[in-house]
Amino acid sequence: MEGKSYQRFPKVKIREMKDDFLKFELRDTDASMANALRRVMIAEVPTMAIDLVEIEVNSSVLNDEFIAHRLGLIPLTSDRAMSMRFSRDCDACDGDGQCEFCSVEFHLRAKCISDQTLDVTSKDLYTADHTVVPVDFSDPAADDSGDQRGIIIVKLRRGQELRLRAIARKGIGKDHAKWSPAATVTFMYEPDIRINEELMETLTPEEKRSWVESSPTKVFEFDEDTQQVYVCDAEAYTYDDEVIKKAEAMGKPGLVDITAKEDSFIFTVESTGAIKASQLVLNAIEILKQKLDAVRLSEDTEEADDQFGELGAHMRGG
Amino acid sequence: MGRKSADSQEELRELFRHHIESFDHLIDSGRSVSGSIRSNVQFALSAASSLGPRPQVFTPIKEQLLRSIKDPVYPFECRQAKTSYTGKFMAEVCFQYDDGAVIRDKLNFGQFPIMLKSKLCNLSGADPQKLVACREEASEMGGCVREDQSSMSVRVYYLRSGSARLGVWIKGREYLLPVGVVLKALVDTTDREIYANLTCCYSEKYGKGKGVVGTQLIGERAQIILDEVQALSLFTRSECLEHIGEHFQPVMEGMENKSYSVVADSILKDYIFVHLDNNHDKFNLLIFMVQKLFSLVDQTSVPDNPDSLQNQEVLLPGHLISIYLKEKLEEWLNKAKKLLQDEINNEGKSFDFCSLAQVKKVMAKNPPKQISSAVENMLKTGRLVTQTGLDLQQRAGFTVQAERLNYLRFLSHFRAVHRGSSFAGLRTTSVRKLLPESWGFLCPVHTPDGEPCGLLNHMTCTCRITSYFDSQGKIRDFFKIRMSILSVLVEVGMSPSLPKLVQAGPPEVLSVLLDGRIVGSISASVIEKVVAHLRRLKVSPTSGIPNDLEVGYVPLSMGGTYPGLYLFTSPARFVRPVKNISIPSSDEQNIELIGPFEQVFMEIKCPDGGDGGRRDSFPATHEEIHPTGVLSVVANLIPWPNHNQSPRNMYQCQMAKQTMGFSLQALHCRADQKLYHLQTPQSPLVRTSTYTKYNMDEYPSGTNAIVAVLAYTGYDMEDAMILNKSSVDRGMFHGQIYQTETIDLSDQRNRSDRVQSVFRRSSVDKSTHSLIDSDGLPYVGQTIKPYEPFCSIYNEVTGATRTMKRKGSEPAVVDYVSINVKNKKKLQKVNIRFRQPRNPIIGDKFSSRHGQKGVCSQLWPDIDMPFSGGTGMRPDLIINPHAFPSRMTIAMLLESVAAKGGSLHGKYVDATPFSGSVKEAKEETESKHPTSLVDELGQMLREKGFNYHGVEVLYSGVYGTELPCEIFIGPVYYQRLRHMVSDKFQVRSTGTIDQVTRQPIKGRKRGGGIRFGEMERDSMLAHGAAYLLHDRLHACSDYHIADVCSLCGSILTTTFHQQQKRIREIGGLPPIKSSKKVTCHACQTGKGMEKVAMPYVFRYLASELASMNIKMTLQVSDSAGA
Repeated sequence: MEGKSYQRFPKVKIREMKDDFLKFELRDTDASMANALRRVMIAEVPTMAIDLVEIEVNSSVLNDEFIAHRLGLIPLTSDRAMSMRFSRDCDACDGDGQCEFCSVEFHLRAKCISDQTLDVTSKDLYTADHTVVPVDFSDPAADDSGDQRGIIIVKLRRGQELRLRAIARKGIGKDHAKWSPAATVTFMYEPDIRINEELMETLTPEEKRSWVESSPTKVFEFDEDTQQVYVCDAEAYTYDDEVIKKAEAMGKPGLVDITAKEDSFIFTVESTGAIKASQLVLNAIEILKQKLDAVRLSEDTEEADDQFGELGAHMRGG
Repeated sequence: MGRKSADSQEELRELFRHHIESFDHLIDSGRSVSGSIRSNVQFALSAASSLGPRPQVFTPIKEQLLRSIKDPVYPFECRQAKTSYTGKFMAEVCFQYDDGAVIRDKLNFGQFPIMLKSKLCNLSGADPQKLVACREEASEMGGCVREDQSSMSVRVYYLRSGSARLGVWIKGREYLLPVGVVLKALVDTTDREIYANLTCCYSEKYGKGKGVVGTQLIGERAQIILDEVQALSLFTRSECLEHIGEHFQPVMEGMENKSYSVVADSILKDYIFVHLDNNHDKFNLLIFMVQKLFSLVDQTSVPDNPDSLQNQEVLLPGHLISIYLKEKLEEWLNKAKKLLQDEINNEGKSFDFCSLAQVKKVMAKNPPKQISSAVENMLKTGRLVTQTGLDLQQRAGFTVQAERLNYLRFLSHFRAVHRGSSFAGLRTTSVRKLLPESWGFLCPVHTPDGEPCGLLNHMTCTCRITSYFDSQGKIRDFFKIRMSILSVLVEVGMSPSLPKLVQAGPPEVLSVLLDGRIVGSISASVIEKVVAHLRRLKVSPTSGIPNDLEVGYVPLSMGGTYPGLYLFTSPARFVRPVKNISIPSSDEQNIELIGPFEQVFMEIKCPDGGDGGRRDSFPATHEEIHPTGVLSVVANLIPWPNHNQSPRNMYQCQMAKQTMGFSLQALHCRADQKLYHLQTPQSPLVRTSTYTKYNMDEYPSGTNAIVAVLAYTGYDMEDAMILNKSSVDRGMFHGQIYQTETIDLSDQRNRSDRVQSVFRRSSVDKSTHSLIDSDGLPYVGQTIKPYEPFCSIYNEVTGATRTMKRKGSEPAVVDYVSINVKNKKKLQKVNIRFRQPRNPIIGDKFSSRHGQKGVCSQLWPDIDMPFSGGTGMRPDLIINPHAFPSRMTIAMLLESVAAKGGSLHGKYVDATPFSGSVKEAKEETESKHPTSLVDELGQMLREKGFNYHGVEVLYSGVYGTELPCEIFIGPVYYQRLRHMVSDKFQVRSTGTIDQVTRQPIKGRKRGGGIRFGEMERDSMLAHGAAYLLHDRLHACSDYHIADVCSLCGSILTTTFHQQQKRIREIGGLPPIKSSKKVTCHACQTGKGMEKVAMPYVFRYLASELASMNIKMTLQVSDSAGA
């Protein structure tokens, strides 16, 4: 590992932050870093999700597997997930819900006794552990939370019953999408837009207006007073090249020059609610670090060969 | 919503109506069945027995456990019990002795199958709520048998001599009669009259002008016809009758003792023009046919095409059953008569014919129940067991099972029209052609590919079949209808044919035929007005003219179709609604039902505002209601089929019927053999108006998947597609297969232990207790792996328990167990329904709605899928761009753009085909801005900040870099097809072998292998892959080491030495060394015995040859080439 150092010090600037939404800038790094972060957020940040369902009574219209699948997809609050163990690594138990380190047990008992259809929702899942509960989507600002009853699992008719025991385990989105804490994670390269003012001035106001309107998103604006075109929202640009094509069609190539900044990214993170969006990013960075540690620790060891197979020798610089 | 769904119910019912009505007619009109039988069975002893006023079929009721309560049976119960839905079939048999009093006796003819939702069905008229209560589908439609077309069977032949022959089919053989003889036999007439009648269609003054059908040759031909009769020295009617009777008496059964004239009468009545009951009418019709024949010979008219829909009718299930039933009843009566006669002739016994008890005793030898079982059997097997053939061209294949694979398949079964299986074997393709005559009646798109192509057609969504019932559901009185038509015709100037006058021919006057009867003629100058008048009366509800009367006016032409006015009122014709624009009437008064015969001669324009290239002299009188009316229901569900290459629409019609969709809503009460079920279907974002019209949301069949069109990993080449693993994890395309196994202990093979078998688990063997409950049946919700037992049967006599085991390769979950408690003592019959989860895996088949099918080649991780920078969306599905250029399914691209726009705007997009052409016509007056469809859709995207063309910039999921070009991405409605690898994969290393050849057996079910055949062998040889070839064909197949006697060269004479214990060969392994003990039986020595490895079949071949006295000699040597 001699030679030039590629070490950089990436910066993060948070633009907007809500519980389940985060928008931030990531600067001074490259696409591989940004994409690694995205991939880890989607597939490798651990959460809790129901993984084992033991059905005692099910006389609903949906079959057992269907209900189990629906239960699995309910997001559970998983702030504790990072510190928990995977049930396959757990020495204390075999992941049957007896052990607090790797699993959480839920119970659901619902029976419809009235003529009105009974909605069985995620609120009907009971657990002794208050740290791992179904995510509450009701808006705290709105007071009438009586109607907001969580995610519907199944509807019951008079006489139908559902009784089950469910065990939530720690897992990652790579294994099954239900463990993915991210609803959407995406990033884009920050665009660098330069209008050739000189050339722009050769256009008539009508031409300017039509050029501005050629972009499907609102990137440019035409000021009616000053008769000037300026960039109003560079990040709205989707790299669709519409304005460039338009300029060429108008016979003014080079009217605008748009390049993507190679080292600057704008991230949008939406969480399922299992963990906060901000925590999601932090966890992802943590996991990325762990993964890199694993690589570093296994350097020059025999295990490295086993771990990376054919790549082992390559990674040791062979 | 409630109202809307009621409307769509009505629309759907309309699609099924012809089946139910034809069955209802069968039930209602038992009279016509029995009436025609009556005359048939006459007794020697002047005692008559005949079938009574009408056979009756009763509604299905339960076998009475308690006498007083009549409990109706519902189809649900029959389905669970796997029995037929039947009602009691009773008929009265009358006996009459020496003109004495008629003795009536009701006989039970057994259980008659009932069509669902027909008049007799307990569900008839039930509203959706009641249906649900009876555990049926809320939109149950009923019907059960498929249709078939058939033709008439009297032919007229032209002889080279100029004469004509009438061909009559009697008992499957054709007899040719000279026309003159038949004409004379029909009515008392003179040669002069016949001559005048035949030649009336020729008149010198018209020459060879327009519409002339006769030529001067006709006079000579008429002369020949008359001379023929004279040559036979037949002059009077009675002589002709005698002549016919004499020749036909041997053929006619039961007429042996009748006089010749009676036989001839019955020939004329029963075999010649059976639809007419008046000899004068028959005479007129025969004259007309002969004139038409001569005109055809003289090429003044063209032949009618029997393959064209113009000359065809439909054979409906009710009609088929009724003619079959009629024949079976006849057979039964004849047999009863024979039995009675035998009894009477048997002088040894004293048989009192007048004693009812004795008669009944004799009749018991001829059980009446066989009739209903014959009908039921016909419905089950689709085979007609008949001597006469019923004038149908096929004997088998009359029924198909109405599979409920998905709703579209179910529906299509009831809209299908098969040309008849006799055409399937034909080498010629002319019957399969799509003829312009079928426009609007048969869907040009919806016909299967391959073998049944063009023979199995589907009716268009607007096409209906005329029935015995009018729109109010009352039975039509055809006699009354015909009378009122006649009176209308006479009013407008038709000269009736009844006072027999010789009338002129086509250029001047046109013959009028009503249901195959010549009723008169109308002058050519007024006929157009008459036709218009008739059409006006047709649409008016009070005129007494039925609204589906077919006014087939064939105008005068130069050598075209033979002119005339052909009117039809009969049932089982195709009809479809069009707008009559020559009637200035308001609202719905101008919707006229037209048939395929008249359509050809009508001027119908498309509602696109144009004139369709028409000349001013032929203005359009009618207009199509909507262009989509030419497509079937299934074809109508394709979005924008007008933008697709036409075969793609055909493929989609096929595939729509194979989708794994939401097949049933009452799934939990069904006991079908196999049901496919999609767990989370969606409503398509892009849909046609038909989708809403028939409320297809009740039975959706696919998912709106986000489809990206790009070549991403190479796993999407050759029509393979990549599914997003996370999307599948979240439930996309999840599904199940439901399979029901019925175990009926009373049905088990062994008669002796049928009574003693009960469901019970073994108390000794506890290993199965985790799977089987104490009642011998599985636990509901239990997973049963392959080859695990799921139910246990205890034999009370032997004390042995037997378990039923699951077959197949996948585990299944016990979904449901239903038991039959009809037999109160012991449980004998159970249904066990299994559920197999079928979530998408590599190798499953999917398709869009545009004939673009593909196989899933990878479940690709979500993080490796390309993503959109703006929205972060990852596609659910990736297909290869090469799927488009050669297939030209533009509508799929349009659907993608439209669905994207629709989902952004939060609305469904209408994709009704040809709507553009209709709209333009209407808008032309308002604005001159015909916007193209693409513009409309692109604008929707643009409004929401998306690319006009539906493309987006995507980033590689693996590298995070921008993909080099923009990617076309958007939601497309994808269907999951029922072909799944789990049902198809075949794998084997070792396993069962064939007993004779010792080669691996074939067949997936039995764990067999895949044949390595000659062509595979050829390619191995071509590659010089000798080792592999040896491995496949020998080592892995029937490897065998044989003992060969090198002295005599035989492999069959090997015997093992007496003292030696026999060593059995095990599989392909060589036996334990025992060479010394092997001797040759022929040479009486073991000296020359050698071991040679060979395929076992070779040894088998040697013994086969030996059985034919051919000896095979092997020359065994050590060195090669020696």
